[in-house]
This record gives sequence, C-alpha cells and structure tokens, in this order.
Amino acid sequence: MIPQTVEFDEVSKFYGEVLGVNHVSLSIPPGITSLVGPNGAGKTTLMNLMTGLIHPDDGSIRMRGLSPRDPENLMRITGYATQYDASPRWATGFNFISTSLLLFGYSRAEAEEKAWRALQQLRLTEAAHRKIAAYSKGMRQRIRLAQAIAHEPEILVLDEPLNGLDPLVRAETIALFHQWAAQGRHVVLSSHVLQEVDVISDQIVLISNGMVVAEGKIRNVREEIHERPSQFIVRCRNASRVASVLFKEDHITEVRLNEDRMGLLVMTRDREQFSRAISRIALDGFGIDAVIPADENVDALYEYLIGEGR
Amino acid sequence: MEYRSRLKQAWTIAKIELGRAFFSKRAFWVYGLALLPTIIFFFHGVQMKIRRQSLSSGGFVQPVLLESAREGETAEAVIQRLGKPHWDFEYPRHRMVSPQGKASGITIHNIAPALEARYIRLNIRVPSYNGDPNARIREMEVYGGNDSVNLALSRPATGSAPCSAAEGPEKAFNGNANDRWCSHAVDKYLQVDLGDIHEIKRVVIKHASAGGEDEQLNTAFFDVQASIDNKRFVRMVNGTGSRFIDEITAVRTMHYSDGRREAVFGFEDGKLVSKKINMLMNFEEDRQIFAGIFQYFYLRLAIFFGCLGIFMNLFRGEMLDRTLHFWFLAPARREVLLAGKYGAGLIASIVIFGGGALLCFGVLLLMQNPAEVQAYWQAAGWAHAFWYTTAAALGCVGYGSVFLAAGLLLRNPILPAAVLLGWEAINGFLPVMLQKLSVLYYLQSLCPVPAPVDKNMPALLQLLLNPAAPASHAGAICGIIGVTALVLWVAVLAIRRMEVSYSTEA
Repeated sequence: MIPQTVEFDEVSKFYGEVLGVNHVSLSIPPGITSLVGPNGAGKTTLMNLMTGLIHPDDGSIRMRGLSPRDPENLMRITGYATQYDASPRWATGFNFISTSLLLFGYSRAEAEEKAWRALQQLRLTEAAHRKIAAYSKGMRQRIRLAQAIAHEPEILVLDEPLNGLDPLVRAETIALFHQWAAQGRHVVLSSHVLQEVDVISDQIVLISNGMVVAEGKIRNVREEIHERPSQFIVRCRNASRVASVLFKEDHITEVRLNEDRMGLLVMTRDREQFSRAISRIALDGFGIDAVIPADENVDALYEYLIGEGR
Repeated sequence: MEYRSRLKQAWTIAKIELGRAFFSKRAFWVYGLALLPTIIFFFHGVQMKIRRQSLSSGGFVQPVLLESAREGETAEAVIQRLGKPHWDFEYPRHRMVSPQGKASGITIHNIAPALEARYIRLNIRVPSYNGDPNARIREMEVYGGNDSVNLALSRPATGSAPCSAAEGPEKAFNGNANDRWCSHAVDKYLQVDLGDIHEIKRVVIKHASAGGEDEQLNTAFFDVQASIDNKRFVRMVNGTGSRFIDEITAVRTMHYSDGRREAVFGFEDGKLVSKKINMLMNFEEDRQIFAGIFQYFYLRLAIFFGCLGIFMNLFRGEMLDRTLHFWFLAPARREVLLAGKYGAGLIASIVIFGGGALLCFGVLLLMQNPAEVQAYWQAAGWAHAFWYTTAAALGCVGYGSVFLAAGLLLRNPILPAAVLLGWEAINGFLPVMLQKLSVLYYLQSLCPVPAPVDKNMPALLQLLLNPAAPASHAGAICGIIGVTALVLWVAVLAIRRMEVSYSTEA
C-alpha cells in the first residue's frame, strides 16, 4: 500500500556554499501541518523541495509515495501556493486559473467550471475578470491560493498563506484549511509567527538554520521545549545571597557563582517559574542588574516566535 | 501517461505560449528584422516604377536608336536622331589643375612701359590658396635696365608686423630664398627703399614654394605699387601666385528610355564621351540581389538574432518575470514543457521569418514586368520560392533549438550569440566533420541561387561566404534535423536539472 504521508529522509540542500536545509527527516501525516521558524530558517526551501522546484543534494523525498522529480503525476495531487508575487502579464484572475487547469487535460468547460469554483471559495469572483497585476496584495495572495486548490489536490503546500490577509478573510481561509484537512488531505503551511498557526495546526515543525528543531503535536512541541533546561546569566551585586535564594526553588537544577561574585549562571527546567522567581527576588531588594539568556537554541527560538506574535 | 496525451499537453502549452512568442515586448524588434528586406525591395520597386513613369512622359524611343549613339558624336546629332531627351542637364564643370611642369613659386612681372620709382611696395591681398592667414615672401627682386643688378638687394625694408623676430621684412631682400618674411597683420605689406630713383622694368617675387614650402601657401592675390616720394603710389602689377589653372568643361547628360532601359549619355564640350544603358527593372539582377540579401542578411543575421529574441525569451523571460514556477508546478514532464515552448517558438518564428521571406519574394516579383515574371515562375520560380521559405523555416528550427538550450543553460544572451556567430563564421575553415555541426552550412546548401560573390574579394573571404561542398537538399534537411535533435537533447538534460531560483536572477 502507498504510504499516505509526506516523507523526508535525511534531505540536505546547499546553495553553493550556503546551507539551505541540513539532514532533514520528517514524516508528515494528513491534516494541517505548520512549518514554523524565523525568516531564512529554510521553510520555503523545504516546500520547494517537496514540489520539485529545487532538487535535494542528498536524501530523498516521497510525497504520498511519489517523487518530486515526477511532476506529471505528483502535481496532479499537489497544489503549491508560492510566495513569489508574480503572475503572467496577460492574465486575469479567471483565465490565469482556467488556463493552468487546461494542462491537467480538462476540457475548457470543465476548466472554467473548476476555476470558477476555486474563485468562489476564495471570494474572488468579483475581481475574476480583472488583470491580476491590478490586484491588491491580499487579493494576489488569494489568487495564488485559488490556483493551488483549483484542481482539488490531495497535498496542499502553502507558503505563508495567511500573510497579507485581512482578519475576516483570514478566518475564512483558516476554515477552508480545516475543511480540507477534515477530508483527509495534507495541508502544509509555513509561518514565521508561531501564534498565528499553533491553534489551527494538528502538527508543528519548528525549523531553525535549516534544521528541524522540534516536531509533533503542538502540545508536545511546547513540552519538548519546556523540558529542556535553559541557562541564564544573572548579573547582581550580591551574587552569593541571590544564589542561596534561588536554590530553594525546585525548578532550578544548577547554580554556579561567577569568580567576580557579581554574577551567576543558573540552569532551570521551567523558564516561566524562573522569571517569576527573579522578579520576586528583585522586589526584595537584592539589586538584580540583568538577566541574560545564555543559550541560543530552542529556547531562544521559541522566545523569538512567541515574541513575534505580541 | 501515454504518448498521445503528452503530445496533447505539449500542444496545450504551445497554444498558451504563442502569445509570449509572438508578442513579447522584449522581442518586438524581431518583426523589424523579418520585414526589412521586404521594405527595401518595396521601396526599390516603387522608386523604379516612379522613374519609369516619369521617363515615359515624353514618349519612348526605339530600342535600336538607343544603341545607335557613338562616342565622339555631338549632342546636336544625337538630338536630331533620337529626339528631345527626357532629361537634359547642362552645367559647367570647374576643375583646378596644376599648370604643366612643377610650379616654382616664382612670379616675374615685366613693367612696360618702365616706371621711375624709389619706393616699391608689395600689398598682399589674399595670402594663400588654402586659407592660411600668413603672408610668406621668400624674396622680392627689383630690376632696372641691367638684368643682373637687383636694385632691392640689401636695401632698407619695412613691412607689416612679422610673425616672429627672425622673419622680418629684411629677409625678403637679403638675396637668400631659404629664409622668409612672414606676416599675419590685417593689412599685409612689404616695402623697400631703393635709395634713389630708378627706372623699374621688372619685379620678381619668390613665394612660399620657392623656398620648399607647400604650393598652397603661395600668395593667391597681390599687387605691387611704386612711388617716388613714399606718399603717392602707383599700381604697376596685379598678380597671383599662379599655382592653379581653372579648367572649365561644358558637361551635359541626356537621359533616354525605350520603356525597358534607361540610357544616360554624357557629353563633354559637346562630344559624347560616355554611354550607360541600364535596365529600368533588371529582374535578373534583382533576383541576384535577393539571393545575396537572403544569404548574407536574412539567414546570417535576421533569423539568427530573431531566434535569439524569440527562443531565449521563452525560459529566460519567465525567469525575469518570476513566473517560471507555474510551469514547473504543472502536472507535466519537463520534456513536455520544453516541447510545448519550442513548438510555440517554432510556430512564431516560422510564421514571422518564413512569411517574411515569402513576402519579400512576392514583392520582388510584383514589381517586375508581368511577362518576365510569368516565364520565370513557370521555369524555376515556384521552386525558388519553396526552397527560400524552407531554408528560412529550417533556420528557425535549427537556431531556435540552439537558443532555447542557451536560454536554459545561460543567463546572458550575448555570450552564446557571440560564440555561435563566431562558430558559424569560421565554420568554412573547419574540417568537413565539424562543418556538419553548423546550422548555416545546411541552410546555405538549401538556397536555390548561390549568393553573388564579388570576384575581387579575397579568396579566403569567398570561402567563408559559400560552402565549398554544399550538401544535397535531402542531406541538408536531415543535417539540420540532426543538429537540432542533438541540441534539444542537451536542452532536455538541462531542464530536468533546472531549479527555480529567482533571487539570484534579479
């Protein structure tokens, strides 16, 4: 039986000397999956790899059993809305989509019917006969979505699909994602804002610097991040007293005093409890000068992603 | 997916791409290239028709009479026999000629009757023939009764301001023609005091060329005056450096026509000296010109650069527009996409350039004498038209594949164009095996009329313009298709590996 998953097996891609993605192994089941990471993390590279726009230097990719090097079959079941904000000069929204449907072998009547249905789903029927070049940014975003879904693909790959949409359309678009996911399809999205997608996603893949940092159900990802001890450097005037107070907290796993007795290296299992404890100590007049995160890994990434949403 | 549906898919792609191939803003100049020969032949034909129309206004002369004019005949005799010419131009032709023998730059002026004077003055009116503003006098001699005594030798001299301190007026009276008086004042003059009143019989002036300077620097116009009291002067000489002689010839050209030909008779001083009889519409010659334009301009440049414009744009244009990924995301093999785009480019280029060649040929025929055209058409005309069009179309097939592949492999269109143009140019010198790898070699073999070659051209160049051993028609067609297949195979390999990366493209 053909596996109904999107599989990455040790996939690497380099752009010359620059690393694109490094040893990525993933198995994505149907449903909504979000690729989340800061800009430049490699989300678009992964999506381009899935759809064969670029080819991996190493490793292999299977899309429900099909290779991205076989567009003839793969692209029948796959739709990709890219971030490239371009369209043919001649195209109106309607004939852009209906023309691309002709390549699937549909008759003109079928193609036009399917194009119209896709435009209806994205609420673009009013603008259907205007040139895409004259569309607003949000409308161009939606026409790309409409083009990607027009042939009713099983695997939808959508690069930053919520970017530039106003709140009403965004809610409707998210409803569409849910609807497609409920039909057993793959909906693979990308976002650099975790908050934007964590509620709607069945699965999250956190990416940073071309590597998959964490993967799984959203709750698991959170826990995974929380379970890792994180390090902080605390600058304060009375380091040894602060250290003794901190040691009473049960989430603190390690405290090391700096040689100059003006700072501490603290390791904690729970960053939220830690920050509460630090503010309490500061209020008690211990004179905390600064609290600096000491490692740049998942924790910093998580901080960055959450921070973006605020 | 089976073969037929892939073919259908390629055709769908071609239909979509026809718009880009025909109407790309980046390649509109292609039409200019394709239509240029037609425009040239059209205007040539119109011009000839207008000329014939205007020559016919006075009625034509008998063809025999046109040839009867002989050299040496007078214009009047020709007019008497042939009647009034259609056009008759008459004008004097001036020619400045050097006098017989080398001009010495010395002018001798005899004064008769002799004049008594103490002061002799030379006024320079125009200092040179070539516009040089400086007056130059090497020596000025004054003679009385005795030819051997130069009365002015070493006498006190004055003159207008000299060009330099070493070129004062005394240099013109020192008996040495190797130095000179030079002046660029507004009023240029030179004067000598003979010390006493003498009878003046002759004045000799040595101008610039007498001292080895250019003839054109000789004084063009001057006069010499004489005075007894250094106050009232009498002009005794008007002169020029007399370097050139103005030769005037009465030139007359008369145009006659017998309706097919135009005769131009040239007369000089009333005698017929030249006779040119040209065909008004020379079908034979025009066909030769067409053959030349077709080979040298159309095949080598127009189709070459036209295909560059159309075919390189098919992929490169989409990369620049950032729309290539739409094709790569379509459910089609990359080869099918390539075939579709190549098909669109072929249709466009064959329509444009095959049509352009046919149109030009049509205009060429349309302008000629219908009877001649009819005869030609029945003999070889239709075959010529067919092979010209075929050569143009196959040129598009060959060059199209090359530039399609180049557009996939390279970003800069200049590079492949230059390399290919160079390759095609030196192809004639390559070993026979390598010659067969050229599109032009086969195209030249298909041309029905060999291009006219100027026999004065260096042999090397002649070799370059015409293939030494042309292929047979069937061989040429197979050759082009073979070259094309090879190039398209390379293109398929390239497009399979191709990745969409606009960021570095921009």
